[in-house]
Amino acid sequence: MKKFVIISGLFLLVAGMISSCKKNDLPVDEDGLLITTRTDCYVSNFELLGADFQTVRSKAPVIDTAAGTITQEVFYGADLKNLWPQLTLAQDCKLEPKITGRTDFSDLANPRQYTVVSGNRQVRKTYKIIITVQQK
Amino acid sequence: MRINFRSYTPALLGVMLLAASCAKDDTYKTPIPKDQLQNDCIKRSTGPNISGGYIEFAYAMALPAAKGKLVAAQVEASIAGAAGTYLENKSYYYENSLQVDVGIPIGDPSVTTGNTTVTTFTKDTMAATLRYFYRIPDEAKGKSVSFTFSAKSSNGENVSYKMGPYEISTMDMKLDLNMTDGDSTYFSIADMKVYAKNQAVDPAKIDLIYMYRTSATASLKHALVAPGAPKEYLQDFVVPGGAANVTKLVKAYNLRDQQLARLQYGVFITDADFKAIDFNNQPSYLFNLKAEGGTWVESADGKYRAFIYINKVDDTKKSMVISVKRYQVK
Repeated sequence: MKKFVIISGLFLLVAGMISSCKKNDLPVDEDGLLITTRTDCYVSNFELLGADFQTVRSKAPVIDTAAGTITQEVFYGADLKNLWPQLTLAQDCKLEPKITGRTDFSDLANPRQYTVVSGNRQVRKTYKIIITVQQK
Repeated sequence: MRINFRSYTPALLGVMLLAASCAKDDTYKTPIPKDQLQNDCIKRSTGPNISGGYIEFAYAMALPAAKGKLVAAQVEASIAGAAGTYLENKSYYYENSLQVDVGIPIGDPSVTTGNTTVTTFTKDTMAATLRYFYRIPDEAKGKSVSFTFSAKSSNGENVSYKMGPYEISTMDMKLDLNMTDGDSTYFSIADMKVYAKNQAVDPAKIDLIYMYRTSATASLKHALVAPGAPKEYLQDFVVPGGAANVTKLVKAYNLRDQQLARLQYGVFITDADFKAIDFNNQPSYLFNLKAEGGTWVESADGKYRAFIYINKVDDTKKSMVISVKRYQVK
């Protein structure tokens, strides 16, 4: 009887160990980011930095989530070819295309577009970045 | 009663160990000071050695009071220093309560003859630390320079101390150039000079124009614009005929090079930094320049790269003070 208790106890121990080692299979996307259940999908703030990493914004940005536009006025004489955009997104969202460094915003007729993808990767929202230059 | 000696073994071992650890280390001996004139030297300045800048040393010398006194201190540089090279005639100590270095004069100001700078002691001094400032001459560029410090005492003793060699950078540096709107307004990278508007200057040498403009709606203020920049950025400025250099600029902020800014930041722009800057697609105009900011510059022909640091801006006088480091690319 004693032997039986010991063997079954060991068996349970091993089983417990195996189950604890089981990999946690939460979904992860191609960038290694967690796919969650959130559906929030919007830009909450926008910043533009110049070559000296100082802001070139002359006003606060106007972010229109319904229209999918971010309108930003920049200082007179700002170098539009070398700007570093920074978008603050809703929780768990990601941006496409990714911003990797200085970006050329000088083609004012064809504004750059960025798509926000929600935490559950199901909702997508495209924003057009409309730059205007401060008048002298 | 029978004593079991074995039970005392750990206690005995403990006492032995204690005795061993407390044994005096009698190998140390109080050092006996040398009974002669001695010297020592350190280099105080850091960062790249640039012509026009200084290399600073602190040279210490001492002898026992009974032996005599110091007579003279001398520094011999392998390349003669530019005007402004000197050996201090004060020995400094640090005043704790004021948190400053306080100088005690020990002799007359130094005399420089050729490569040699000499300070002669006039006060009865047995120990002194004198600072030596070597102003790097233009001819030392790209070469290396070394120094021999020596001291003489009244009992006829001589000591010397060799320092170096130190590499001198090929960079050029100019400090505190004043630019005024409408007057001293042209900057030439090739000449490292600010030219006044009414001065005769080769238009091909004008790389940047300084201007101060205000606008009700825009922040223009202190601006550097290349003569070849788009017309709208030159504002109302009439560029002299033949001046059309499209100088490229990369704005920088908080890059406070210690040699240019002379502030507390331990940042130095070296030759390697100039090589690393990418001037592709960069503008030829900058507005709203601020103090402690600056700009990387590439001349239109690509021959020079420079960093212009803005030491001071003055809105009422419409002027700014700049310091420049220049590196020749080709």
